[in-house]
Amino acid sequence: MTPSLENLQHALKKLPGLGYRSAERVALHLLLEKPESLPALVEALQSAAAAVRRCDRCGHLAEDDLCAICQDEKREPSVVCVVENVPDVVALERSGAYRGSYHVLHGKLSPLQGIGPDQLNLSSFKTRLEAGAIDEVILALSNDVEGEATCHFLTSEIIPMGGQIKVTRIGFGLPSGGGVLYADSVTLKSALEGRRGYA
Amino acid sequence: MKVRAIGLQDFRNVAGARLEFEGRLQFLVGANGQGKTNLLEAVGFITALRSFRSNDQSSLVRHGEREGAIACDIEHETEGASNLRVNFKPGTKEAWLDGTKVTRLAEVIGRFPTVVFSSQDQQLVRGSPGDRRRWLDLTLSATDREYLKALQAYHRALADRNALLKRSGSDAELEAFERVMADQGMVLIERRREALAELAIGLTERYAMIADHAETAGFAYAPQVAAPDGAALLAKFAGGRARDRILKSTGSGPHRDDFDFLLHEKPAKEFASEGQQRALVLSLRLAQAAWFRSRSKIEPVLLADDVLGELDPSRRERFWSAIPADSQVIATGTVPPDAALGEWQVFQVANGLFAPATPPPPVASR
Ligand SMILES: [Zn+2]
Repeated sequence: MTPSLENLQHALKKLPGLGYRSAERVALHLLLEKPESLPALVEALQSAAAAVRRCDRCGHLAEDDLCAICQDEKREPSVVCVVENVPDVVALERSGAYRGSYHVLHGKLSPLQGIGPDQLNLSSFKTRLEAGAIDEVILALSNDVEGEATCHFLTSEIIPMGGQIKVTRIGFGLPSGGGVLYADSVTLKSALEGRRGYA
Repeated sequence: MKVRAIGLQDFRNVAGARLEFEGRLQFLVGANGQGKTNLLEAVGFITALRSFRSNDQSSLVRHGEREGAIACDIEHETEGASNLRVNFKPGTKEAWLDGTKVTRLAEVIGRFPTVVFSSQDQQLVRGSPGDRRRWLDLTLSATDREYLKALQAYHRALADRNALLKRSGSDAELEAFERVMADQGMVLIERRREALAELAIGLTERYAMIADHAETAGFAYAPQVAAPDGAALLAKFAGGRARDRILKSTGSGPHRDDFDFLLHEKPAKEFASEGQQRALVLSLRLAQAAWFRSRSKIEPVLLADDVLGELDPSRRERFWSAIPADSQVIATGTVPPDAALGEWQVFQVANGLFAPATPPPPVASR
């Protein structure tokens, strides 16, 4: 092993799903077996890093100020589905059951892990709510303790309650403790249809 | 259910042992400190994947070893012949059921019921609230999946709230977790109330069989909020914030609940004699086993740690008559068992080694 190779292996090991052995395998593969693929990979990483950002409105991945969903005129902007992370958006989009917009919190309240309201994407959500164009908020956070607590926080601190905004929660039909990420399309569809009023 | 065989590997002072059980009565005889209770502890472990003696898992692995294991062959009313293996690894444990790794340990909890009778049981009556709470939580968790779920969620939310208290989180954040605690806490309070009411009936029945005279036995459970709604509990948490912020921990709630044993409507820890308290805890364990059987339709294995020898012959006989005739009993003692109670399969225990002693040495009951 050389210092640079070790360095690369360490960086790869931080990626999700890669352990020590597989990081080593990927590093050796890139450097020894397929060195010709490296420039394209480096270029792809650099341009993605430069181009991909958070959507100003909803926090989803975007390459412009707004993401493709927020730009899509066929989507219903007055319905907002609040999710924890980007992969939740991907799962809901794959189900094809949802035609509204999203808001990605990039996490949930978790004092044990040092995550408070300041670490969540809440200010742009407040701005959207204050603009007055939202009729329904669907809370699609996980069913665990931190997901429930985050729903409570949103309804007591962020979403004006008792007004015109209808707040619903999906969770019924979702695998207990898991977020939308772990549910299949059929489950997601029926969970969305069966969403209940949340107070 | 019946335990048909148990194997230990680097568990407590036992390097390796395998005991095959025949019939329904097993007796482990030996001097104190030789490993009798360690074997009962291993059998008891399969119920809730927790030790009835200790919360410190590292103490379960034999001194000087990193890993240990328990394996049980079980004859089960609903699952048939089963094999449960528990591996203790540094900082963790894993369970294998019939050769397949159990991904969620909660699925195994309560499936293999045992009830321990211990000479320490009187601590339940007169010991600390924590002892009683631990007994109640373990007993309910073993029969009630919803209780276990609520208990785990409550404690998670409690840990989150305590973390907020330590770094001065806002009232709004505290409230978000208090609402989860109130929802789950109400489940705990209601289930505790129901279970204690049901157990009190069985307790009185068994107490009448074991003590020489009939007296009503029961529990006084007074949760910190009397009103049966989450709003009162929520208000309790909110009202405690100022104090909790100073102490950096949550001072009241279902995690601090306690109950009293009652004998003749009076607190047994103050008014009952030594003998009455002993009869009360024996009755409690029998009532617990019966309650379990009625809920799950599975006959618990009874583990009697050094209790038979402590009873005088007439009380021992009455206690014995209160045990269901088809229950498996695994008992320990320093002297061989009372042959009047039945035909025992006896094992001699010395220095972590178990040797079958056959035929069982007959000892006349006094
Ligand atoms: Zn967007």
